[in-house]
Amino acid sequence: MHDFVALEGQGVVAMFLASTEFVAAADVQSRALGYASVPAVFVPHPIQDRTDAEMAALADAALDAVLAAVTARTSG
Amino acid sequence: MPDLPSDGVVAVVKRECPTCRLVEPVLGELSGVAVYSQDDPGFPAVGDVRDDTALEVSVALHIDTVPTLIRFARGVEVGRTEGWLRPAWEDLTGVPGLGPDLPEYRPGCGSLTNDPEFADELLIRTRGASLASRTIELTALEDEAEALVDRGWSDGLPVVAPTRPRVLRMLDGTTRAPDEVVALVPPNLAPATVEKVAVNAVLAGCRPEYLPVVLAAVEAACTDAFNAHGLLATTWGAGPAIVVNGPVAREIGMNSGGNALGQGNRANATIGRALQLVIRNVGGGRPGEVDRATLGHPGKLGFCFAEDEAGSPWEPLAQSRGVPAGRSAVTVFAAEGPRGLADQISRTAPSLARSLAAGLRSVAHPKLPLGFDATLVVCPEHARVFADAGWSRAELEAALAAALLLDPAEIERGAGGIEEGVPVGRLRGPVSKFRPGGLMIVHAGGGAGMFSTVIGGWVGGPTGSTPVTQEVGP
Amino acid sequence: MIVLDPTDESAPAHREAIARPATLDGLRVGLLDISKPRGDVFLDRLEALLSERRVAVRRYTKPTFTKPMPPDLRREIAAECEVVIEALAD
Repeated sequence: MHDFVALEGQGVVAMFLASTEFVAAADVQSRALGYASVPAVFVPHPIQDRTDAEMAALADAALDAVLAAVTARTSG
Repeated sequence: MPDLPSDGVVAVVKRECPTCRLVEPVLGELSGVAVYSQDDPGFPAVGDVRDDTALEVSVALHIDTVPTLIRFARGVEVGRTEGWLRPAWEDLTGVPGLGPDLPEYRPGCGSLTNDPEFADELLIRTRGASLASRTIELTALEDEAEALVDRGWSDGLPVVAPTRPRVLRMLDGTTRAPDEVVALVPPNLAPATVEKVAVNAVLAGCRPEYLPVVLAAVEAACTDAFNAHGLLATTWGAGPAIVVNGPVAREIGMNSGGNALGQGNRANATIGRALQLVIRNVGGGRPGEVDRATLGHPGKLGFCFAEDEAGSPWEPLAQSRGVPAGRSAVTVFAAEGPRGLADQISRTAPSLARSLAAGLRSVAHPKLPLGFDATLVVCPEHARVFADAGWSRAELEAALAAALLLDPAEIERGAGGIEEGVPVGRLRGPVSKFRPGGLMIVHAGGGAGMFSTVIGGWVGGPTGSTPVTQEVGP
Repeated sequence: MIVLDPTDESAPAHREAIARPATLDGLRVGLLDISKPRGDVFLDRLEALLSERRVAVRRYTKPTFTKPMPPDLRREIAAECEVVIEALAD
């Protein structure tokens, strides 16, 4: 979260990925830093014991959300 | 109101007070007294002790001293006594023979509501409801100084956190109501209340006594005539400048003397800054957005000074512009950075006037007439030359105008090998550099140095900006 | 600390992420590995997916996930990227 703030402070559009275990903590930390919410994508826990193929699948599944988090949505 | 008895006696005490400890047994003797403790709900050791460590009841009852004893009848206070005085206590409670072992009288101590540490909280509780601006919580993880800049409220320099006590104290600087709308601020034409101006005055670092001057400057700058929007949006780098006249300048400690246009004086520095922060934060005027200046200048952080009236050979600028003598006023005008004119030889008024005119020729561009307005700050050593010659402001203006009649042959396009200039054949004869009323003369500066200063402006008149004078009210 | 809003209050009261670009075309995207296990595998795949979409990708790694990234890494990223994707906290 501090990395996010530091990078955006330098004008770099930022977002982060975390496992679903992090949802609550991310929310608390965002608010603690003055944000209502921060661009983030959460992938299903667990992470550490996944195979390479499973990790790749997680990335595939997350791609659309990641792109949405770093580009502006034109309101329809 | 917390549950005070509608009929009965109330006492307010604090353990820290020796007199309160002295009367503890008396409070124990009395039945039916509701005792509010400011610092320790375990004190005194009597029947009906209530915790007022939050000081809510003390504030509501306007407690100044502890112990205070109050009698209520039918929901209304009918009497109170402060400190310990046996006859007063017996009278109030209707109980004779109180505290037989006690001395007749002991004074009380200060109520915790008067504690300096509580002052800010008290201010918020008693007057906070009068504030209308949205509150924003800076979180514990945010550095206060960084947080204010991160939210975009700064002009690049640190700003002062506009807490509620600070804004309430700033509002004490004026008699105007906080919700009074002062102006619609360009470019977004957002309404600025006295309170909003006060918030930005706190950001800027103003003292409360500067607020009336800031309010007058905001009013002047937001007029159609001044055209703050146009001034902001042009690629020309001028911004608003403020010159202050009248008693208020001395009352708030402004600088009209040495380095008056420079740094070091809090009022000069923060009043100009407050105006720019109002335009930025309330009006939405920011560089890279509506503010399109190619270069700008350092005075866009804030540009404000007082005229030296005492040493001036002429009437105050505001007076020359219609403000009755002796009244305080601001004149807001478009300004780029100041440029010095070093004439250390002229000892006669005609020579010095021509010399200053030579410096004025290059406002905007030496070959462009009737384009821009300007302000000439005449320093004391130069002013003395005019004073010795007995020249009024009007006579100086006339001499400058005569010296600023430009020869078409010099200013036409191509003249001097310079492509810029007036289209060939456009001019029938000599033309004035400045439009009528387009040059203002102010007196300021330190006593040493024969260096007057030209402050170029922007396009004058209806298509540009016109200086505006506004009286300063309380 | 509570402060009063000095603005016209047309913007939200909380801090917001900076404006996103319309597309990633022509922009340099940094993938920042926070150094938790398996994060690199995830980012390898993300890099491949983005490269397929003709997005210019650069890879960075934090020395440790236990602390904010060091200032020189931050400066390096800021100089070399318009967008950063940080992964993968668990």
